[in-house]
Amino acid sequence: MKNGNIKKLSALILTAAVIGTAMTACGGSKRASSGASGSNSGTVALKDTFTYAQGADPRGLDPAYVDDGESAKVMCNIYEGLLKYSKDSTQVQPCLAEKYEVSADGMTYTFHLRKNVKFHDGTPFNADAVKASIDRQLEPNVSDEMPYASFVFGSIKAKSGVKEVKVVDENTVEIDLFSPETPFIKNVAMVMAAPIASPTALKANNGNLNEKPVGTGPYKFVSWDKGQNIKLVRNDDYWGEKAKTKNVVFRFITENSARDIALTSGEVDAIDGISASDVSQLTGAGDKIFSADGMTINYMAYNVTGTKFKDVAARKAFSQAVNVPELVKSLYKDYATPATSIMPFFMNAGSKDVKSTSFDKAAAKAGLAKAGITSVNMITYSNPRPYNTVGGQVLAEAIQGYLKDVGVTCNIKTYDWTTYKSVVQKGDYDVCFYGWTGDNGDPDNFMNLLDDPDPSMNVAHYNNPDYHALIGKGLTTAAGADRDKIYTQCEQKAADDNVWLVISHAKNLAAYSPKVSGYYYHVTGITPFAGVTVAK
Amino acid sequence: MEENKEIAETSSITVGLEEKPESIWKSVWDSLKKNKAAMISLVFIIILVLVAVITAIFPGVLPHDPYEQNLAKSFAFPNAQYWFGTDQLGRDIFSRILVGTRVSLSVGVIAVAVSLTCGVLLGSIAGYLGGKVDTIIMRLMDIMLSIPSILLAIAFMAALGQGIDKAIIAISLVSIPEYARIVRGEILSVKQNDYVQAAKVIGDKNSRIVFHHVLPNVMSSIIVRATLGISSAILDASALGFLGLGVQPPMAEWGDMLGRARNYILSAPYAMIFPGLAISLSVLAFNLLGDGLRDALDPKSRQN
Amino acid sequence: MVKYTIKRILMLIPVLLGVSLVVFLIMRVFSPDPAPVVLGEHASTQAMQAWREAHGLNEPIWLQFIDFLKNAVTGNFGVSYYTNQPVSNEIMSRFPATVELAICAIIFASVFGVLLGVVAAVHKNTFADYASTLVALAGISMPIFWLGILLILLFTGTLHLLPSTGRIDPMLQPTGGTGLYLWDTLTSGDFEAFGNAVQHLIMPTLALSLYSMAIITRMTRSSMLDTLNQDYIRTARAKGITRRRVIRHHALRNAMIPITTVIGLQFGSLLGGAVLTETVFAWPGIGKYTVECIQKSDFPVVQAVVLIIATIYVIINLIVDLIYAFLDPRIKYSKEEG
Repeated sequence: MKNGNIKKLSALILTAAVIGTAMTACGGSKRASSGASGSNSGTVALKDTFTYAQGADPRGLDPAYVDDGESAKVMCNIYEGLLKYSKDSTQVQPCLAEKYEVSADGMTYTFHLRKNVKFHDGTPFNADAVKASIDRQLEPNVSDEMPYASFVFGSIKAKSGVKEVKVVDENTVEIDLFSPETPFIKNVAMVMAAPIASPTALKANNGNLNEKPVGTGPYKFVSWDKGQNIKLVRNDDYWGEKAKTKNVVFRFITENSARDIALTSGEVDAIDGISASDVSQLTGAGDKIFSADGMTINYMAYNVTGTKFKDVAARKAFSQAVNVPELVKSLYKDYATPATSIMPFFMNAGSKDVKSTSFDKAAAKAGLAKAGITSVNMITYSNPRPYNTVGGQVLAEAIQGYLKDVGVTCNIKTYDWTTYKSVVQKGDYDVCFYGWTGDNGDPDNFMNLLDDPDPSMNVAHYNNPDYHALIGKGLTTAAGADRDKIYTQCEQKAADDNVWLVISHAKNLAAYSPKVSGYYYHVTGITPFAGVTVAK
Repeated sequence: MEENKEIAETSSITVGLEEKPESIWKSVWDSLKKNKAAMISLVFIIILVLVAVITAIFPGVLPHDPYEQNLAKSFAFPNAQYWFGTDQLGRDIFSRILVGTRVSLSVGVIAVAVSLTCGVLLGSIAGYLGGKVDTIIMRLMDIMLSIPSILLAIAFMAALGQGIDKAIIAISLVSIPEYARIVRGEILSVKQNDYVQAAKVIGDKNSRIVFHHVLPNVMSSIIVRATLGISSAILDASALGFLGLGVQPPMAEWGDMLGRARNYILSAPYAMIFPGLAISLSVLAFNLLGDGLRDALDPKSRQN
Repeated sequence: MVKYTIKRILMLIPVLLGVSLVVFLIMRVFSPDPAPVVLGEHASTQAMQAWREAHGLNEPIWLQFIDFLKNAVTGNFGVSYYTNQPVSNEIMSRFPATVELAICAIIFASVFGVLLGVVAAVHKNTFADYASTLVALAGISMPIFWLGILLILLFTGTLHLLPSTGRIDPMLQPTGGTGLYLWDTLTSGDFEAFGNAVQHLIMPTLALSLYSMAIITRMTRSSMLDTLNQDYIRTARAKGITRRRVIRHHALRNAMIPITTVIGLQFGSLLGGAVLTETVFAWPGIGKYTVECIQKSDFPVVQAVVLIIATIYVIINLIVDLIYAFLDPRIKYSKEEG
């Protein structure tokens, strides 16, 4: 009996040893190449798979149900909207709609749809599909889990945004608004909420395509292994120019450095989310860097309803203590621009003329002493954010250092992003760190943050009637120089009141193997891959 | 140093019980002295304690201010001025490691002290009283043991929030069951001994019996376990720090330093190599000392 | 024996009930509010309140617990707050990754641990002994995450030999099957994919197994030394049986009893170590996922995962105890249990 057991056990261990040896033996074999070349012609032989690594899984793949950048990068390859942004700006261009007209009062938009377009599941694209995609995000169909619904389409209850979607004929849709809203046309091109999903698929999946996305885009969804990868395959029935590489694989690798290593060792072809300090290592290994101005603002907000920073003078003195250009240069190297305005200059040329508070140590010391400020409660987040790649903690610690030089102690409390949002909501801080990534390139998208009644959006709790009036005026003024001027006034007002200490506009940074061509990272944070090729 | 003190205290308790107590502890010490690895570890631990105490009392001895940032000098390669280089904020890694000694040692010692006290108390009560009390306490311990301690500690930290005090609480809580189990087991076997029975007959109070008769007898296994416990507490604390759940900034903690440096392993590998070495060497020292103590305290292995 | 086994199984019920309660309390009473993460950057205060209401988080805590238990008994762990997918799907899609890694690690740790331990014991106080002791000491002293990063730095960063993240090249990924890629690729005869999966496994296996290997080495060494000192071994040697035969057929066989126990217990601790290993190697398993979910306050997932891990852990412990009792007839089943 006993002997038998021992024998079994020894046999088990022996088997284990054999497997162990086999494992070690196989270890030396070279990395498997993935399949043969596709149908692409040209002088260079091309791989038929493009592998892209990003930091996390998408939250989902239904444009109505998600709000994060990781989802956007995948969705922009599967879905399309009526309009799209041009490659290097947020100018809108035709997409599923060939053209559109706006009525003179700015309240009716008529879209003329592209003909002979089919969804990936074979359903024809038409006016009914457009109506279905929008109607599900309007009352009474809209649900709490649709984060961008009210942002893009407004709310019938609040009498803002879309009043009704009318099917004029098979290929014409008319959208009526409650009041003129200049940003609306930019919203229609967004990758959140606005893309058109297959009505057949929506019906079959209970109105939620998070797991089974079906759009009209250049790539079709194949599979999603949570925490590992998403696979897409070329849509060979695409109405426009077909995608150049047959397969696209998104891989999810949390750590920045792990993604860097995966790129340099050839596991993946391109990555995003790069620390500025790693750029030289990546270029040293022969990889290429994609760097372009991003539509972001990284800022520190004063709690203007708190006790310490009620007065402009105190806020100004604190801001004067920080040498923003030096700080930005050392934390973000050349991959962020020191900010002097809330919007990056490319969004509004007038922002260049905004006069904001600049570094003046002596004045800071005097001002803070006069205001009687010796210690400040500071809260921040621990995770890296798109607008602040080093994370809020490093940034807060750097500012803590500057304030130490003028005799002010900063007590930093750090929370992970989850907790941070609820802590911010409670409003128990003197200063806090935050940021914004633009959605659609419209100035209102940035400037109304300081006019939002929700304290989790307007973290400075700024509430100024003049500013409010400017924002309202901007919303209804038609796009053009007059409208831009309104937002420049907003910028100057916020700078004069020292509501925020604006820190930096991050650049969008990505890296790719020298074999890759056609890769770009759009200013709104999306990555269309239809034009990407990978040499063998 | 801590250990010696404990041993000394224990021997004074033991005086009332045994005929020639000094000889036992003396022979333990003699046998420990012969164990080279344990002695080197002891010296290393004494140095660690000295570093922790001296840097706390006289921060002036540090080559640089561990909290002073110098953004212009971030990620300096190790050189004559910055022996272990600088981190992302230009702070001196060597000074931060020295200061981090205090954090790691205090987490180790306090966590072990807390969990030891609770564990000994619970284990003694369970072992001595038996019956329903025993069942309830030990079931509770089983519950805690059946959740991997790192998961439990992470959940505690997520619930309590960051901070070194909270890390100590989390680590203490998850290591209570081990001690409770050891003490209960020992007590069950010691309980049957003649002198304990005798004390019962004389009419000693339960608590008196436990503290004066039973505990001194389980002391040797507890000392060994506690020494090893410090090493696992240091490891656990560094794991929490690594996952970003450890200390509040700008405090220097080895695991936290390692976790932050991980994002820069390509450009600044030294920023994670030195904290890793500090953790490994300290853990190793406590392990070797614990092993040495076990060999010295176990008469069977002493013969070998 | 049967009675003892049944008694032990029944005793698992209150333990698992307690585990559920502990996790439930930590998550629901003390953890941060999940609403802001779930609803994202643009969520309003009212929307978050409505969401909490809809997910039963405004109910009294004991009612929430009873609901959870009722559903858990039927295997329904609810829906992840974050992905809106059934928790059981979320877990099942990640579980095989952890199981595969843990099995490889325990096999590696057992084989090399026993080997090193035996060599050290047989050649006591020689170079081989010191070398294996050194490996064992490194194993218990180096934090898993540090070791993992050093391995990546060496094998991927510098030598470009092994892939550092994930389980397999996505284009070679087997579909369907057990989710254990080594098994799936081998049974389908896809050796290219098998080799690729093996390459991905090497570093995580090494990092995860080193600690357990160290413990097993030490245990084997001391257990072998004990056995080698026993009289019957001396007798056997005196009778002229070769050294090799004595070691293999007599000493190791008896030393295996305590070693088996240690191996069993290490399997449980591997599940904990998997948390750190998976984080370092971006291994898409249950450990990394749980940490993420704890940090996101995804209550239903955390509750289910911890309950499942605890169940596995106590069952393994039970099996180890039973094997131990089976191998060593001296143990009485009625023995008081701790």
